[in-house]
Amino acid sequence: MLKSKAGGFIFQLIAFMLAMVFVSLILLAVGASPLDAYKNMLTGSVGSMRKFAEVLVSFVPLLLVTAGLLITFSAGLWNIGVEGQIVLGAIGSVWVLRQFVDSSLPPALIITLSILGGMVAGAVWASFAGMLKTFGGVNEIFGGLGLNFVSTALTLYLIFGPWKREGVASMSGTEPFPDVFSLPQIPDLRISPYALAIALVAVLIVYFILQGTYFGLKIKAVGKNIRAAYLLGIPTWQYSLYSFLICGALAGVAGALQVTAVYHRLIPSISSGYGYLGLMVAMLVNYQAVWAVPVALLFAALNIGSIQLPIVMKLDSSLSGVLQGVLVLFVLLTEGVRQKFVKKV
Amino acid sequence: MITDLLSTTVLIGILASGIRLATPYLYAAIGETFGQKSGVLNLGVEGQMLLGCFAAFYVAYTTGNLWLGLLAAMFVGALMGLAMAFVTVNLHAQQGISGIGFYLFGLGMSELLFQRLMGTVETVKGFPKIYIPGLSDIPGLGEIFFNQNILVYGAYLLVPLAWFVLNKTTLGLKIRAVGENPDAADSLGVNVARVRYFTIILGGTLSGIAGASLSIALLNVFQQNMTSGLGFIAVALVYFGGWKPVGVLGGALLFSMVNSLQLWIQVLGIPVPSDIAVMMPYVLTILVLVATVSRVRSPSALSKPFERES
Repeated sequence: MLKSKAGGFIFQLIAFMLAMVFVSLILLAVGASPLDAYKNMLTGSVGSMRKFAEVLVSFVPLLLVTAGLLITFSAGLWNIGVEGQIVLGAIGSVWVLRQFVDSSLPPALIITLSILGGMVAGAVWASFAGMLKTFGGVNEIFGGLGLNFVSTALTLYLIFGPWKREGVASMSGTEPFPDVFSLPQIPDLRISPYALAIALVAVLIVYFILQGTYFGLKIKAVGKNIRAAYLLGIPTWQYSLYSFLICGALAGVAGALQVTAVYHRLIPSISSGYGYLGLMVAMLVNYQAVWAVPVALLFAALNIGSIQLPIVMKLDSSLSGVLQGVLVLFVLLTEGVRQKFVKKV
Repeated sequence: MITDLLSTTVLIGILASGIRLATPYLYAAIGETFGQKSGVLNLGVEGQMLLGCFAAFYVAYTTGNLWLGLLAAMFVGALMGLAMAFVTVNLHAQQGISGIGFYLFGLGMSELLFQRLMGTVETVKGFPKIYIPGLSDIPGLGEIFFNQNILVYGAYLLVPLAWFVLNKTTLGLKIRAVGENPDAADSLGVNVARVRYFTIILGGTLSGIAGASLSIALLNVFQQNMTSGLGFIAVALVYFGGWKPVGVLGGALLFSMVNSLQLWIQVLGIPVPSDIAVMMPYVLTILVLVATVSRVRSPSALSKPFERES
């Protein structure tokens, strides 16, 4: 039973419960009521339609990034540069919007172009990490970290330099675009159904690529055993690069949607750590696209649910980060224990 | 004016603060070097630093004793290292993932504790500058090298020490063997798990000191997420430095000197666009990255869990 999928699921559930217990102990240690905290997080995330819409706003970029990372993970690659790819997606989309802000083209077309611009920019940025890896022999973790710094720098440069706000530049970002350049939202709620649809379609595509295509099979072969794949005649470096491009494109869309559907401008922390969170989610779902949706939703709910904690009970919203980190560690823990069991049985 | 930069006082100021600013990078990156040399990639440095940062500040602030603060940071870092070691060595977890888990944990935890235990930004009187008779009086050089606080000196002493341990001792040999070929090391009777436990806990302790150096020696405040990516830069510095302590020193100095120059440009109000100044350290990172391409080879067993074949 331990080997079966159900066994794995039970262990994940145990991990989740252990994480809750562990965080409860932390909360007790700092003199806060865990029950109150969890209750507040629950009402703060699914307590009302408005709150749940916020959860979905956070869910969209997380899901897109996770979907992309499922591809790079399948190819055995550690695309930690995904943070920077989100940032470049945002920059690309802002750049396109700036080109057309005074044009007479229909806004819908401009928004579409802007999202495509983000997609291309994210893919190009990912290709840098990919080329450093395939041609330069630079481990993608180090290359990705380096490129992340550069993307941060580029954002700051644009906000304080060429794209400076009229008057004085500030950390609050560039001048917001007029409302017509925003993805339409559901009345009274902040979520754009288009953004949500794009994210869900992206996961479906990734699922399809990985499960149903020869291309996906080759990517997985490269990830499982790069030498064997090479001997079988798969041009391994090309497939590594393809997987970077796909992941970068999806991360770029995530960045573009942060601009067109959420912030309507470029801000310094536009990636909001979704890249790192996406890495967590992709790992938690054991690289299975089907599970990405519920787990990303859970993480988004934790993010949003914790926002009201400081107001209601003098707890920091960072509790969600603690919970997410602890959850990941406990999943690793129970997974390790399970492996030991499996071997013994 | 641009010529202001060339005056002796300013040059000395730039170099002195460059030397100072390298401190947290050095502690964290040297610690990470030990881990990576033994085959363990710890991406959680940032989290360890943040918790160390807070622990040092909080203890120093409440007890008024900086050394207790430093000790607290080391303890917290070591504890995080112990947990990391357990997850990666015993449970064979993917190191990148566990590292990011620890990063998220440290980031959230330090903010949570800050909010709960302090609430407002306070300051402490950090480690004072140490006057070394003779050396501190050397014109120029004295100001640059010998007018720093104890943690800065410690960071620079750590470099030759780490070099010595890694290259000239049996322990260093074991660490390198475990990172290059754990199977061979194991068959020769080296306890792979124990060596990795040692390096990861050492790395955590040093990351804790790195955090402490920010909060009670350099900046003397604690703010949420005050490391702002420094821990990740430290991980990359290990790579730039080719897994050698001296290389790490070079990378850390290059980075901190450019950073210092950038800060001084802003302080002096020199009409170099500030956006370009802010970007300098980052652009430099990528240039160094490109320059180091394929120059060095990573430890063969880096990020691979070890399991004895039976």
